[in-house]
Amino acid sequence: MKSTKLLGLALATAASTALAFSSHAEEDTVKVGVLHSLSGTMAISETSLRDVLLFTFDEINKAGGVMGKKIEPVVVDGASNWPLFAEKAHQLLEQDKVAVTFGCWTSVSRKSVLPVFEADKGLLFYPVQYEGEEESPDIFYTAEAVNQQATPAVDYLLSKGKKKFYLLGSDYVYPQTTNLILLEYLLSKGVPIENIGGGIKKDDSGKIISAGKYTPFGHTDYQQIVAEIKQFAAGGKACVINTLNGDTNVPFFKEYAAAGLTAETCPVCSFSISEDEFRGLPAKQLVGQLGCWTYFESIKSPANKKFVTNFLSWVKSPKVTGAPDADVKGVKAEGRVTCSPMVLSYDGVYLWKKAVEKAKSFEVTKVVAALEEGIEFDGPGGMVKSQKNHHLTKNVYIGETKADGQFKILKEYPNVVGEPHLMGTFKTKTASN
Amino acid sequence: MPLLPFLRPLLGFAAAFCFATLAAHAESPRVAIAKAIVTEDADEQVKLVGSLTGSTDATVHDLLTAWKEGGTFICTAPSGLLDAPEGSKLAVQLSGPKDADGKQAATRIDTGESLKNADGSAARLLCTDLDAADTSSDLRVVMHSVLELFAIASPDPHTRFNAISQMGLSQDPAQLPVLLARQSIETDSAVKRALREAIAQIQLKSSDSAVQIHAAQELGVLRSLSSRDALLQLATDSDVAAPTVAKAAHAALRLIEQHLSVVNFYGTLFRGLSLGSVLLVVAIGLAITFGLMGVINMAHGELIAVGAYATYLVQNIFGAGVELSPLGYPIHFRGFNAGAAAYDWYFVVALPIAFISAAIVGLILERCVIRFLYRRPLESLLATWGMSLVLQQLFRLVFGANNVQVYSPRWLSGNWTVFDVILGWNRVFVIGFAALIIAGTWLLLNKTPLGLLIRAVMQNRNMAACVGVRTERVNMLTFAFGSGLAGLAGAFLSQIGNVGPILGQDYIVGAFMTVVVGGVGSLAGTVLSALAIGISDQSLQQILLNPVLGKILVLTAIILFLQWKPAGLFVTRSRSLES
Amino acid sequence: MNCVFSKREWLLLALSVVLLVFVLPALSVTGILPDYLLALFGKYLCYSVLAISVDLLWGYTGLLSLGQSVFFSLGGYMLGMNLMLMIGKLGSYARDGKNPNLLPDFMVFLGHTFLPWFWRPFHSVGFAAAMVILLPCLLALCFGFLAFRSRIKGVYFSILTQALTYAVSLMFFRNDLLMGGNNGFTDFKTILGCDVHAASTKRALFICTSILLLSVFAGCRWLTRTKFGLVQRAIRDSETRVLFSGYAAANYKLLIFVGCAAIAAIGGALYVPQVGIINPSEMTTERSLEAVVWCAVGGRGTLLGPILGAILVNALKSWATQKFPDQWLIFLGSVFIFVVLLMPKGIVGLPSQLKSIWASSRNRAEDGASASSQALPPPEKIEGAKA
Repeated sequence: MKSTKLLGLALATAASTALAFSSHAEEDTVKVGVLHSLSGTMAISETSLRDVLLFTFDEINKAGGVMGKKIEPVVVDGASNWPLFAEKAHQLLEQDKVAVTFGCWTSVSRKSVLPVFEADKGLLFYPVQYEGEEESPDIFYTAEAVNQQATPAVDYLLSKGKKKFYLLGSDYVYPQTTNLILLEYLLSKGVPIENIGGGIKKDDSGKIISAGKYTPFGHTDYQQIVAEIKQFAAGGKACVINTLNGDTNVPFFKEYAAAGLTAETCPVCSFSISEDEFRGLPAKQLVGQLGCWTYFESIKSPANKKFVTNFLSWVKSPKVTGAPDADVKGVKAEGRVTCSPMVLSYDGVYLWKKAVEKAKSFEVTKVVAALEEGIEFDGPGGMVKSQKNHHLTKNVYIGETKADGQFKILKEYPNVVGEPHLMGTFKTKTASN
Repeated sequence: MPLLPFLRPLLGFAAAFCFATLAAHAESPRVAIAKAIVTEDADEQVKLVGSLTGSTDATVHDLLTAWKEGGTFICTAPSGLLDAPEGSKLAVQLSGPKDADGKQAATRIDTGESLKNADGSAARLLCTDLDAADTSSDLRVVMHSVLELFAIASPDPHTRFNAISQMGLSQDPAQLPVLLARQSIETDSAVKRALREAIAQIQLKSSDSAVQIHAAQELGVLRSLSSRDALLQLATDSDVAAPTVAKAAHAALRLIEQHLSVVNFYGTLFRGLSLGSVLLVVAIGLAITFGLMGVINMAHGELIAVGAYATYLVQNIFGAGVELSPLGYPIHFRGFNAGAAAYDWYFVVALPIAFISAAIVGLILERCVIRFLYRRPLESLLATWGMSLVLQQLFRLVFGANNVQVYSPRWLSGNWTVFDVILGWNRVFVIGFAALIIAGTWLLLNKTPLGLLIRAVMQNRNMAACVGVRTERVNMLTFAFGSGLAGLAGAFLSQIGNVGPILGQDYIVGAFMTVVVGGVGSLAGTVLSALAIGISDQSLQQILLNPVLGKILVLTAIILFLQWKPAGLFVTRSRSLES
Repeated sequence: MNCVFSKREWLLLALSVVLLVFVLPALSVTGILPDYLLALFGKYLCYSVLAISVDLLWGYTGLLSLGQSVFFSLGGYMLGMNLMLMIGKLGSYARDGKNPNLLPDFMVFLGHTFLPWFWRPFHSVGFAAAMVILLPCLLALCFGFLAFRSRIKGVYFSILTQALTYAVSLMFFRNDLLMGGNNGFTDFKTILGCDVHAASTKRALFICTSILLLSVFAGCRWLTRTKFGLVQRAIRDSETRVLFSGYAAANYKLLIFVGCAAIAAIGGALYVPQVGIINPSEMTTERSLEAVVWCAVGGRGTLLGPILGAILVNALKSWATQKFPDQWLIFLGSVFIFVVLLMPKGIVGLPSQLKSIWASSRNRAEDGASASSQALPPPEKIEGAKA
């Protein structure tokens, strides 16, 4: 019996070692990691990012590559499993020795790989809106910081005469932090604390530690919360700030519509619903609700038009020029849209390319230094520029959802500087409104 | 008049220009609306439409309504149109029957005349070539206020009610005369109440404190929930300046708060009832397969998902059809593009189809896997979990990893508001639906020959076999029936939640708990436990103001409850689960 | 002891010790084995410990617990609390001077300024180590006492443990609990003063895990060969008869349940520093069921089976999620159905199963049609006293 065990171990060792040495880099290519969940619960969102990254690599390779080297993508699957993300990050950095990695969606996956990137001195581009309060030297946050999404949205709602704000989110760190910052922001704008709905929790010393209503992932019953919002909004001039995670939005919005609440009586401004998430939502029940992103597919600019057309034709015959072995299986061609995290992934690749060309090296420290000096790229969402604090300056758009799942752009805030540390920066206004 | 054709637009333009400068405010509503439709500037649109406030011209009502509902179009003028240079943008409406090319006659909104070609003949346009004019919610709010004056005189009491409530909330004293005038002729009791409420709300803004006090008292008497904010504001504003007003406001607020607690009580009761019914619908299939047959079906959730996906397919076949590509082989379901009225009935068709498809999947599972495991319940748990993994991934491969969109028919998407308690139609429906399913199941088990056989086999399989019952067949049918019930649950869940590969996972623990608490093998127990769990969940949520804590407490309570009654609420002697 | 282990077994045990404790770490020192692979093996070994705890309950006592992942993660969380506090001045807020009380970063995030009372004792490694065992044992004791007292068994026990798992994971997903919510604990810096990212620390952790696994293995082997183990299996096969024979079956079950919770918890505690993260998705029912799969695939009711199963299934998973992300779940599910239906003894029992199939087919050939077509042994006899 023991011999079987030994054999098993030996086999496993042999298999893994064989895996480790099976691939070897070629001279005229540069390896780039793609670390997203292609299976499990997060695959819904993250597969699109993998697709757009491969598309970008193809586009760059067709145009000659990066400093003459073709990009060779190394795609790994995090499988929506956070320890696995760390394992795969190790593999990318230590076995494949990638020059840069694009990946992660959830906060927890980023937190899981962050120590790996810091220890191995890798470089990660993170493309999804997040809670801020982080500034790792080895990560570039191409995504929306809170002041590039939440606070402009609130500005917009205030300008439309909204006086009451109901905060609702999924119970994880992004909504919690965003709502705490929004609470400070609203108070600084003179909104009295009674007009902020969802509940407020204080610690023993009276300091507010949580604002808003939170539901777990996979929550299905929003009757009570919608009834509460209905009463909250009965007096008019109210709106909902929604940081619910993709899936749970469906039962929420279905209940919301059934209770007779509409975008006209009480609009919902969502931060996690982009065109891509829209594909799984009852669009008709969301018409008129607001969204805030740094890119919408409906932007009418030549750069965006080119990007959308090229991407939509690429998904029909996906391949990566110059890297014939690249795995492009599972790229679906039907019903594709583009959305903010996808464009921020796209922007990220080009920023990295420009930084490499500026630094004339693939070395992480040199590339990071070049990025910190400020690299500009005119992307589909407008001009983006990297900042010293590893965030991007970019345009912010407020949009309203339409029945076809696209957004009608209502307002644009140009060149908003990404600011990760917002907590405690807004001072409460004492005068009443 | 032999005017050169190219001069005509110029002249027209000049005339319009003069008109506009001479009487900027008297711009014809048609012209204003047409301008608003074609402009790209959202603020300008709002301003133009807002300028129509107070108008009583019926064309304003008709055009704005058409615009809101997507019945107006922006046409980029092709060459050869009368009075429209090539490339200019025109606001048009389409009317009349479609001809062979699908083209329709068009009316220009700015003039109200039909669109003509240069030679004077009517121009016809293709609907799909045009952009439907869309609206933003700001714009719709302005439209609303413009339309309110029409709405207040509308023959439909519901429309009147909404318009009057909105006017009350805006607290604009200028609208008081309109409301007072309406009050003298209004006959509908609900609308009358709304009128009293709206008038009182506006009167809160009055400068006369006696009027304010009277208004506050009136709102208190009416238990007006929507006035809470206004009364609070009044109470704080007049706290020092006019203590009597503040006192009246506080008194009214107290009355409203009392009313609110009553509303919340009944609301919670109703929500608990509906949540209980959802649980019941989800658990009833499990009560058959687990309760009667002793199969721990971890794939129950996936059978629910089968029902939900079947609903999705039926919906799309009623609509435009659907394209699926399981494993890369495209399959196309042709839709028959039912009209809006017929489309709304897709759900009725979907119910039996959901039942049948889930039953078929259940049948396959039973034949391939479960029948080998009747005597090994623990192993049936493991094997069915394996099946649930396989099914989940199959859903992903066939329908995509994304959730799919299922729309509620109109008759399921409204609500009744009775004494400020919202009764959503889908929630009322599920209560009735659950009652029907229970009644059907009870009848099947107790009043049919098949039911007799099922009970016989479940109570003593060997004995039943000895007296000649084909137990294999009964097992098969029972399992298929339980699976079919899961499919029905899926069809309903598609109306209130996600339809995606892991749909079932959200409900499976709740379903098991319901059956275990109710007492395995007892229908009555399952009903009672579903309602008890639903109502205690909602009450705890109301009390703790936290959706998760309530759930955790309910689970803990269940574990403790089973100490007291290990076999659940109703103990039935069922051979199948005793070792 | 000699009556417990045969000479051959001693030899093989010693060989495994040499391989796991000396050879693999030595290979990693010389660089033949990359560091991340060593960490990967360490992870598999932790899973093996979890699998043994599942097997001891399920294969030996007939209690299919879907709550083992809770105990596993609780152990991880307890050690994790210490690791979080050890970050101290190295945390990103402390670096900026915004965290005078040296709270874990996620608390600063949520606006806390003081360390909650239940976190304070975790500054001491000793306390954390004690809690790794005590807390899961306490939970197992309370739950087990209630469950076994009212004679909940079989599938009911499974469903109740499923509810327990669900409730505890819901609780840990809440940020209000101050255990990191969905993100859990991550970004550890040091363990016992050593840098967690250093290769030497990783090797030390690997060696610890190996020693843990081998001692758990040896301990369980010994236990199952004592009278205690006999009673255990008697409970599995017919609890009623055990009761009638005068044994307090509930106490035996409680003891084994608590013991297994402790084993899983220690495994979890070693898991956390090696993978660098612990969060509530580790304690869902699916994770427990996965551990059950490892047992079933390897062969339940044996002690080698779960280890083999855990390593094989996970190695397969690491490989297949990359090569065939779309087909992986279908494959896993089918393997599971296949094993449950056709290979009740798992891989370990495969040779004897094949032998009996071969024998019966030969019998049939000899006896004509009269031979029994039952290829599978009834499940009650999955493993007998021969082990």
